[in-house]
Amino acid sequence: MKLRLLGFFLLAVLTGRSADLPVLWAERVKTVVAVEYYTETETDRRPSVCYGTVIDHSGTIILPPVAVNTRATPSQLKEFKVYLPGSSQSVPGVYLGQDSLTGWHFVRADKALWPDLVPITTYAAKTAGEPALAQDVWGIGLRNKDEDFAPYLLASRVALIQSLPQRTAIALHEVAGPGLPVFNLAGEFVGLAASSFGQSFVQFTRTDRGGSPVILVNVEESSAFQLASEVLPYLGRVPANYFGRPLAWLGASGLQPVDPDVAKFLKLDGQSAVVVSEVLEGSPAEKSGMKARDVLLAVDKVPLPRLKPDRVVVGYLEREVARRSPGQTMNITVLRGETRLELPVVLGEEPRLTTEADRKYYDRIGLTAREFVYGDAIGLRVKTTNLTGVIAHFVKPNSPAAIAGLRTDDWIKEIDGVEVRTFADAARKLDEVEADQQRAELVLLVGRGNETALLRVKLK
Amino acid sequence: MLRFVLPALVLAGPARAAMSRGFNQLFDAVVRIDVREVAFEDGARRLSASIGSGVIFSKDGLILTNAHVANPRAVELSVTLASLERVSAHLVGWDHWTDLAVLQIDLAEVKRRGLKFTHADFGNSDDLYVGETVYAVGTPFGLTRTATRGIISNNRRYFEDNHGVNGYETGAFNTWLQTDAAINPGNSGGPLVTEDGKVIGISSRGYLGANNLGFAIPASTARRVADGLVRSGSITRSYIGLVPRALQDFENFYSLALNTGMLIDNVDRGSPADRAGLRGGDILLAINGQKVDGRFPEQLPPIQNQIASVPVGTSLKLTVKRGASVADYSVVTEQLESRVGEEWVLEKWGLSVRKVTRTFARDNQLDDANGVQVIGVQPGFPADVAGLSRGDIITKINREPIPDLKTVQRAHATYVAKPQPVLVEALRNREVSLYILKP
Repeated sequence: MKLRLLGFFLLAVLTGRSADLPVLWAERVKTVVAVEYYTETETDRRPSVCYGTVIDHSGTIILPPVAVNTRATPSQLKEFKVYLPGSSQSVPGVYLGQDSLTGWHFVRADKALWPDLVPITTYAAKTAGEPALAQDVWGIGLRNKDEDFAPYLLASRVALIQSLPQRTAIALHEVAGPGLPVFNLAGEFVGLAASSFGQSFVQFTRTDRGGSPVILVNVEESSAFQLASEVLPYLGRVPANYFGRPLAWLGASGLQPVDPDVAKFLKLDGQSAVVVSEVLEGSPAEKSGMKARDVLLAVDKVPLPRLKPDRVVVGYLEREVARRSPGQTMNITVLRGETRLELPVVLGEEPRLTTEADRKYYDRIGLTAREFVYGDAIGLRVKTTNLTGVIAHFVKPNSPAAIAGLRTDDWIKEIDGVEVRTFADAARKLDEVEADQQRAELVLLVGRGNETALLRVKLK
Repeated sequence: MLRFVLPALVLAGPARAAMSRGFNQLFDAVVRIDVREVAFEDGARRLSASIGSGVIFSKDGLILTNAHVANPRAVELSVTLASLERVSAHLVGWDHWTDLAVLQIDLAEVKRRGLKFTHADFGNSDDLYVGETVYAVGTPFGLTRTATRGIISNNRRYFEDNHGVNGYETGAFNTWLQTDAAINPGNSGGPLVTEDGKVIGISSRGYLGANNLGFAIPASTARRVADGLVRSGSITRSYIGLVPRALQDFENFYSLALNTGMLIDNVDRGSPADRAGLRGGDILLAINGQKVDGRFPEQLPPIQNQIASVPVGTSLKLTVKRGASVADYSVVTEQLESRVGEEWVLEKWGLSVRKVTRTFARDNQLDDANGVQVIGVQPGFPADVAGLSRGDIITKINREPIPDLKTVQRAHATYVAKPQPVLVEALRNREVSLYILKP
């Protein structure tokens, strides 16, 4: 009797509501687009395709963090094109930049497309709340370019909800393309598909009968989505510049979570903590008196929550910094030895990033020289007050520089026996070398890890 | 021309007789060395056995062999004499930089058992010429008292190896004799001799998979090191932190006079040379006013040895060219130390450790030489369960820094006596993490 009732109930839900699904689908498919762009590097030009969700009436689209390679700089990203699902026609798009808190990349589609786009906010739920476990959800997937980005239906059920640290639902199976919205049966927006999680399999082959473990990630569809409460409040964070500045900066690096055993030993009940590996030179953390090996316990008196797995608490703390602005004070409680200390940290502005650094490519030498920035000094463990030299950001394979033994990320300290002080210095010198067709060689003094080496670049 | 040929012909007769006499004496001075040594791998204490060769070089039973045959890890050393009698021996001293060790036969045992042995004489390794006939005598693959023949293929071969002797550095301070006399595993520590049985080298290594590319430490180096080891059990060297490189075709670039200068490829961070202001790319022209010629790789070990040979704490005047200018720097030497520190196993934790040395700390950009490096963990033991793994550097135990191995041993002993959770702070790729070792 009980079983029959349940069966009847399910039937009612599916038949009763799914009658509306074609209607809901036709409306909601207007909230998604496909975006294509090119990444132009020194030696090649590669297309990328990703999916985005429309967030307003002026053609603004958010792309998931993984849509752009982190090593690419905004100036290398070219020719953004925005396609409607099922269409081979595109309109130009403009890349607006990346938001530091959400990691989303923002693109604005050309005006011509605006009438065809519907912002996702249109379908925000009337009442707040999380989807229940086992609740039916559905989403949109998009096929590849050769199929005109045809939209197709994906549907699943909520299997689990976790704080990672964002509230994230994991569905039974794939529920939307990464970066695309997920809806409930009423057509309300319940979340945005994140990049998919890896799943472990054991692979058997003719030659390997013992089986070897592999992790497979579905890059076209995702079964995980961040809940609407992690999306809707942040849609206003359209970056004012490529890098999402101002960027709040703490300057405590190498944050490592403590496991429950350690927490118990430190008498931290029901909360987590992170160990600071390094307090960066000249950073707000250093100014506040924070020391390497301090154990961070709380932010503004709120203890760091115990999130699972342990690693997630680091993301939590990083978000606490990222959601604040430079100049704001963040009160951090630390454990040093057995003493608790309160450190008010006035957050600063993040130093110039690698992606922001000046750079120039020299084709004859086979080298992109990049400005030496704060992060390089930290990586190399040298004083940050004296940023000299340039970094070999790219070394062209089989070029004179590569043959001489120069490697990507080498630190060029001297060119032809003359110390390189600034990027402009280096550029002037390299311009000269590149232009001089008579020149037979170039001698570079480079630092690599903890060592230096003299390299002789034969140009002829 | 004839005058040269004639004496040679005349000598050819007696040389054969002399060879058998001298060679026989040598043959009787060559020993097989059986070693049982302890290894602290994978969080446990393990014994292993190996075989090497050696040569007795004094009346009181001193034996020269390789440091990679006999070193402080040996717990049992036994020597098989030419008479096929076995006697025990102890380690007098070792020097991994030249891959040499000196043992001494247990003379009391020799006397008690009425055993006899002879000793070999050294020849002059500086006089060797390429093409000269030499013999290697030793115990290849356990085949006791095997002689193989070849020639000197090169009398000044340079190679440095940062992990050459059981993980220790070798080759910075000496050149090597290269020979095509077959040198196989087990030959290590045996003598390389001329036809008259004079020891001109200690066979040390060969290229695996190559044909007849063997290397020996020249007798001139071996004698000097053996003297030092007998005198004080170890060789103390000076260190200033220069990593040299042959100048070779950089002479024009640096506009140097002929036969002058050694390229400084790198200056170890925090070393005396670094503190004195030297840096990579500088050219070393003279040491204490004495000109330096480092154009070719085989010229580097003597220069390094010159620096290493001064007493620790000596102030050296280095004349250095940087760009167009030449200046003198005075550098006070400190004691040379290996990257590899003392090892131990903390059995109840299933944790093998190696002391961090000053050199290791510099190489790895650590703040100081406090701490121990994890070299192995035993699965299922507290260190493994806590998440420690090979390569981690333990910097504190129960919030106390670790200046020496004793500190760790003490903490372990306390744990063994009364098992209680232990808080461990460790570095992995510059990141600090905390771990609990639980009973």
